[in-house]
Amino acid sequence: MFHKHTYLLKVLIPLVALMASCSDDDRYIGVVPEQISPVIFNIDSLPYTNLSTYNFFEGNMSNLDPVYGVLPYDLNSSLFSDYALKKRFIWMPKDSSATYINDFTSFDFPIGTILIKNFFYNDVLPNMVTKLIETRLMIKREDDWTFANYEWNDTQTEAVYTSDNKFVNFDWVYKGEPKNVNYKIPGISECFTCHNKYGTPLPIGPKPQNINRNYSYEDGSKNQLAKWVEQGYLKDNFPTFINSLVSWSDETQPLDLRIRSYFDINCAHCHSDESYCEYAPMRFAFNETEDLSNLGVCVESIFYINPDISYVVKPQDIDNSALYYRLNSNQDQYKMPLIGRTLKHEEGVKLIEEWINSLNTDCD
Amino acid sequence: MIKPTNKNSDIMKKKLLIIIAIGILPVISLAQISSNSCDDAETASPIIGNTVYTVDGFDGTAVSTSCSTTGIGTHGEWYKYTPTSDMYIYITSELSQNFNVAGGNNSHDTFVHIFTGTCSNLSCIAGDDDSGYQDTSRTGFSVVANETYYIAWDNIWDSASFDFKIVEIDTDLMITFTNSTINAPGLDRGVVDMNGDHLDDIVSIHSTNITINEQQPNGTFSSTMYSTDGIYSASWSMAAADYDRNGYTDLVYGNSSGAHVLKANSDGTAYSVAATSHSVFTQRTNFVDFDNNGDLDIFLCDDVAPNEYFINDGTDLTLWEGDDPNAPIAEGLGLYPSGGNYGSIWIDYDNDGDADLFIAKCGGEPARRQNELFKNNGGLSFSDVSVNTGMDKVLSTWSSAWADFDNDGDMDCFVGSSVSSEPHVFMTNRLEVPLDGNGNPIDGGPLFEDTTSTALPEGFYSFGHENVPYDFNNDGYVDIFSNGNMLINKGDGTFVVYSYNTTNPDYEPREGAVGDLNNDGFLDIFDSGRIKYNDLNNDNNDRNWLKIALNGTSSNINGIGARIVVSSPSFNSNATNKSQIRDVRSAEGFAYMSSLNAHFGLGTDTSADSVTIYWPSGTVDVIVNPTINQTLVVTEGETLGLPSTASDDMILFPNPTKRFLNINMNVIGSERAIYTVFDITGRRVLNNRLLSNTIDVSMLSSGNYILRIINNGKINTQKFIKQ
Repeated sequence: MFHKHTYLLKVLIPLVALMASCSDDDRYIGVVPEQISPVIFNIDSLPYTNLSTYNFFEGNMSNLDPVYGVLPYDLNSSLFSDYALKKRFIWMPKDSSATYINDFTSFDFPIGTILIKNFFYNDVLPNMVTKLIETRLMIKREDDWTFANYEWNDTQTEAVYTSDNKFVNFDWVYKGEPKNVNYKIPGISECFTCHNKYGTPLPIGPKPQNINRNYSYEDGSKNQLAKWVEQGYLKDNFPTFINSLVSWSDETQPLDLRIRSYFDINCAHCHSDESYCEYAPMRFAFNETEDLSNLGVCVESIFYINPDISYVVKPQDIDNSALYYRLNSNQDQYKMPLIGRTLKHEEGVKLIEEWINSLNTDCD
Repeated sequence: MIKPTNKNSDIMKKKLLIIIAIGILPVISLAQISSNSCDDAETASPIIGNTVYTVDGFDGTAVSTSCSTTGIGTHGEWYKYTPTSDMYIYITSELSQNFNVAGGNNSHDTFVHIFTGTCSNLSCIAGDDDSGYQDTSRTGFSVVANETYYIAWDNIWDSASFDFKIVEIDTDLMITFTNSTINAPGLDRGVVDMNGDHLDDIVSIHSTNITINEQQPNGTFSSTMYSTDGIYSASWSMAAADYDRNGYTDLVYGNSSGAHVLKANSDGTAYSVAATSHSVFTQRTNFVDFDNNGDLDIFLCDDVAPNEYFINDGTDLTLWEGDDPNAPIAEGLGLYPSGGNYGSIWIDYDNDGDADLFIAKCGGEPARRQNELFKNNGGLSFSDVSVNTGMDKVLSTWSSAWADFDNDGDMDCFVGSSVSSEPHVFMTNRLEVPLDGNGNPIDGGPLFEDTTSTALPEGFYSFGHENVPYDFNNDGYVDIFSNGNMLINKGDGTFVVYSYNTTNPDYEPREGAVGDLNNDGFLDIFDSGRIKYNDLNNDNNDRNWLKIALNGTSSNINGIGARIVVSSPSFNSNATNKSQIRDVRSAEGFAYMSSLNAHFGLGTDTSADSVTIYWPSGTVDVIVNPTINQTLVVTEGETLGLPSTASDDMILFPNPTKRFLNINMNVIGSERAIYTVFDITGRRVLNNRLLSNTIDVSMLSSGNYILRIINNGKINTQKFIKQ
């Protein structure tokens, strides 16, 4: 069942500043210095050519060990990207914080916010090592978000700015079996294709509905929203109850919440009002999918695939469901998501099949 | 295969094939009241076709047998219909007045049964619940002359009043197909001649191979698979042309991650990647000669960024991103930053002898999906004329069908919507009205007029990506094949919609590449491993035809960009219907490559008076009294061209000139007046419509030139000197 998340009362970071008095008195009170984030943020020089210039990480950059102020976070459900693993971080300039708008819209982030998303694989063959592929940044500037992508070198010592798309081919071991991927690093136009509404760039992942969960920080597990408040990154004026996604792979969760969470993070950024494919009738955002017709159930499929498919989703009939066909396809012109994957998400397709077979609406 | 032009007695006994001009009855809502039972309907007057009737609520007897699995309601309202000839009809409540108005609750969920027989012994012939848009009903079937049909509307879902109509389609207009499967592994993308024999072949591809099913003169296909070395398939589109002029057709593939140009070797026995873009999310691809140097260039629509193109200098293909400040086309041809470019097509919309660009756009904010029309000014210069021409509609479109649908000598356009939330748009070109010096109508209105409601009187509620124009029944009026429907051109400014059963087991055509796959002069369709052969052929109807294959010399070898004009007794400058026109294009629609041969239906004309080819180079060829019902192959410059009048008739002043040339002929307003300037090597350096008596030649370098004016099929030439 759905858990109502509470959060701790906000904790004030004590700022103690005492003036030392130059008196005959030998006593003095030490000043506890305010911790300052060492991230190098020179807004006019952004984006830098090298990822290292930002100084997000300490030690070997490939360890992704964040400096103070670079806060790790995770999502309830995350986008399928050819099985790449992701480590996400957020940073904001001093004395700036984000504001809650509603459960299903990304926070109103202050200028200077940087969202950092690192894509990597474990058990990469032949040596069973971890391989970082790319680090995607979104930087909030005066008017708009800017995208910047960094491709990691083979020695994993640096990642360099790139705006072109590129394929990286390798094998890795997934669930005990070797798998090959011709991984595509997106070009800058592709970033925008998903990350926009009516021409305005915007983030997708960090919405309250997807941030509302616990994370194991170095100093213990805590709700992420609470941690962001504690860090000074989020104003403490959001509701106690947030209608949140679940982890789609969590089999203890109800099927309908799992599938709606899956569709939200994989599909809603294009299939929503003012987005890339707003002209198709589907609306996959979590807050809109209690209505089955927004998921395409019993909705006629007007984009021709083959003569056997008439519906977006036909209950208990995956062969007559365009949605199933597309998630199950690797064909360039049929697959969904349209960009962002080259492999099939086997587990996602199974979930969709289970869901379609669980429906009992009669389309006629 | 040449077929005798004189056919009389062999023809199956059918009525005279007069092109349909049966006056369309005005669509009025008659007060014909429905009957409460079959017996009452039997004694009442029958209803007639093409007329709107209102079912004014339900209180009559329900049917006893349902003609559909839906069931039976509590009441029925009955009508009788007796066709006067054999034909195909639709009984339809898919009329806009029945649709749900936003915020309202008046959509009409209708249901209909249709019977033959007698009231005491009815048998179902058809029934329909929700085939129409928004749960209205629409069902089609063949009817027999003088037979009585009983129509019973059923209130199982809805008892409110609604309108319906019987749409009649004369048998002569019907366009149907019969399937024949063929092994074509991979994406079935093309029906186009690949080996220079002008017979359309079938092309299907994977990223690593091409299969060509080569049409043989006896109608069979000979299949060969060629390995290729690329990484991208033609997932989104394929176009074809012989861009390197070696006699074997080359291909361009459009893919999400890039585009490949696949070149045939010197004897068509191998194909290899000649050029690639890795930076384009390709949609429609085209071969077209932008700079008119005789070498075909390639245009690539980009879904997510400004469009790209390859320029062909005769040896190499150079890729340009449209927004590159160094790119040779300064205007870029579609520079919207986030793209939205879906269906590019190259047509001569202003009849000035060069190929202009229309882009059907889709997705995102209104500015992103606003369609664009670019006028070709020559010399790699283009102007965005979207607003002035009225072609700047904000729609969700993937392709458009361009043809002279109303046979008045200029290209009209059907922009097909891909979604029910945006309407289709039919735009009629008004090029025949008085124009100012900029080519805009003097009356201040846009060049293209939205005539959707007159062109499609019953509306059209089927949506998708593919819209292509072809004369499928060879009656001389170009039809539109649109996503499993044929918009059949009735020749009177209207189209009637005939819908195919595209699913199992009929697999009638939904979309595909169009060409002549049995060389019988009637166009066929290929898609998903099935050839859909046109059921019309030379033995079962009176219609004649002509196919024209071009062989360019100064122009590109396929004649892409050429305007072809065919005059015949029913279609000429003196008749109501003007000479028929085609622009040679690569390609039509969205995804497929259709035949490069120009195809004309001649109706029942038993001869053609002339075929005129306006080549992109400026050459004009005229073939007088060509043999019809065959493929006419025209090599550029092989004919004597248009009759030329003595040069004394045209005086140019000042001559020599530094800037302007004034002409002493009265040619303003003539629809086909075009001026062309050739340099002393015969190369075309200027070309445009002649809209006034003055021509600006200031951009020419100094030297000797020839000015040629083509006006109403006549040529005037005069030399001049540019200082």
